[in-house]
Amino acid sequence: MADVQLAGITKSFGGVTVIPGLDLKVPDGSFTVLVGPSGCGKSTLLRMIAGLESPSAGEIRIGGTDVTDAEPSDRGISMVFQSYALYPHMTVAQNIDFGLRLAKVPAAERATRVAEAARILSLEPYLDRKPGQLSGGQRQRVAIGRSIVRNPEVFLFDEPLSNLDAALRTQMRVELAQLHQSIGATMIYVTHDQVEAMTLADQIVVMKDGRIQQVGAPMELYDRPASEFVAGFIGSPKMNLLPGRAIERDDVKTVGIRPEHLHIADDGQWRAAAKVVETLGADTIAYMDAEGLGEIIVRLPGHMRLKAGERLGLSPEIANLHYFGHDGHRMEHVA
Amino acid sequence: MQMLNTRTPRPARRFWHGARSSRLTAIAILLPPGLILFSLFVILPLTESGYYAFFDWNGYGTPEDYVGLRNFERIADHSVFHTAVGNTAKIIAVSLFIQMPLALFLALLIYRKTPTNALFRLIFFVPYILAEVAAGLIWSFVFDGNYGVTASIARSMGQESFFILADRDWAFVAVMTVIVWKYFGFHMMIYIAALQGVPEDLIEAAKIEGAKRPQIVRYVQIPQIRPAIIVSAFFAIIGALQVFDVIIPLTNGGPSNQTQTIVTYLYSFGLTRLKIGFGSAVGVLLFLAAILVAVFYQRLFMKGSRP
Repeated sequence: MADVQLAGITKSFGGVTVIPGLDLKVPDGSFTVLVGPSGCGKSTLLRMIAGLESPSAGEIRIGGTDVTDAEPSDRGISMVFQSYALYPHMTVAQNIDFGLRLAKVPAAERATRVAEAARILSLEPYLDRKPGQLSGGQRQRVAIGRSIVRNPEVFLFDEPLSNLDAALRTQMRVELAQLHQSIGATMIYVTHDQVEAMTLADQIVVMKDGRIQQVGAPMELYDRPASEFVAGFIGSPKMNLLPGRAIERDDVKTVGIRPEHLHIADDGQWRAAAKVVETLGADTIAYMDAEGLGEIIVRLPGHMRLKAGERLGLSPEIANLHYFGHDGHRMEHVA
Repeated sequence: MQMLNTRTPRPARRFWHGARSSRLTAIAILLPPGLILFSLFVILPLTESGYYAFFDWNGYGTPEDYVGLRNFERIADHSVFHTAVGNTAKIIAVSLFIQMPLALFLALLIYRKTPTNALFRLIFFVPYILAEVAAGLIWSFVFDGNYGVTASIARSMGQESFFILADRDWAFVAVMTVIVWKYFGFHMMIYIAALQGVPEDLIEAAKIEGAKRPQIVRYVQIPQIRPAIIVSAFFAIIGALQVFDVIIPLTNGGPSNQTQTIVTYLYSFGLTRLKIGFGSAVGVLLFLAAILVAVFYQRLFMKGSRP
């Protein structure tokens, strides 16, 4: 196992700089999720850690060793690709075995390690099949098996669940979390899905335009987003970001309030009309039009009945208001 | 009974009936042009040459001198035909074991889409675009012992100039060199197209697993482009059976018939000597060889390449 340290990492393609000087520390044994919108540079960053792209400047250290110019196979990493990247002409066993065969590991040890990986991932019945004969979830397991079998110090995942359907994604998410608990290796996981980030990570790195917006534990980001961008990105449904006049403050550009921190009150300070009401069972999500403030989302108890067009008063929990200044950053100590 | 007769067809049956009649209409309209052309220019000549093969006929008038299998016996006994078959086999071997690996090697070097690679692709593909006769002529100048490039090179190295195309032992080597030069670009393009279709993720995954370039080629890229290699081998063999127009301007089958192939043999001993019956017999044998290759190809490879 090993930590990963990035210092001054820059990446330019031609004249375009996609990552302008980035520092990051991924602690040993952590599950770090790089999250951000499409094109924010998270996949490029992961590919640089893997050695599939070279940084234009900066240094990458894995387990204290400088691997900036090392071959991908010499970095002690393994990677699971979005497309699974399984070799279609090889069986499941041969796919899992491939790296070990290249490393000239003795046949007996290879067989033991493949069997162990197959056991962990419940792939035993499929070892003689070709990837084309497997379902999406099984293929993803094979890709993970190929990673596990090499005992890497760092696992890299590039949006590994994005090709799966919703139910399978949830199941695989749980399996990945269990895998991390059982093997305890450092894992770096790229996704644009903030739900995956919140559920899997013990450290989330939010990126935008090649820069890190905030690094922290999921609930730290949820409770104390460092910027308006992070506030809007983390959490589902997303945080309501209202103009400062909503709380009659000129120095505050934006005030944020999460949907669950709004309550219906006849004497509420904001008046709003329900536009769309989503009944989810445990919760009811109401998309409302607040007078003079724009759209506002409210999370209500599951059995709350609300009709479209109904007008209500809304009252925010003052302690859970988030204030953002004109520079987009969080304002602390706002009375 | 009357009830049954007046019953209207069910919608599904009506649909199938409609679909079938529209298919029949399509066949009636679209099939005849192709069928007539194919019959006139392929089936008919094939059948006719199968018929002429049993006659001693000079191409004029009606074939009357029935000779049975004598044309085939003469072919079987003719040493030049043996040379021609041997030469065709050599071309097949050179195509499979020199031309195709060379094309694959070059394709692996330049398959990625970069401006430099595009330039090299063009350069390597130019010989294929050239007309065969033009290519043959160009190389006959190159190999000329007095004024050719090879003669200049030999002289600059202090060697005596060499008429390679007039040498019994070396002329066919020169011919095969020209054939490789002329057609490797075609095979290279097939491989380039196939290699560009191999997902980059597979190659990157192999790199992460510790595969070096030769291992990526062996374990990932070649298995992935196997169908393209099979198709290219098929073209190489069928093409080798048909080699003709490169040889005519280069050596015209000489010296002493040492560079004849099956088709130049057919041309030299059948057409130019007005022995149409004999030529037809050679044609029949060539056709059977092509059929044999096609059947083998189908049996050996097509089953394996199905997913």
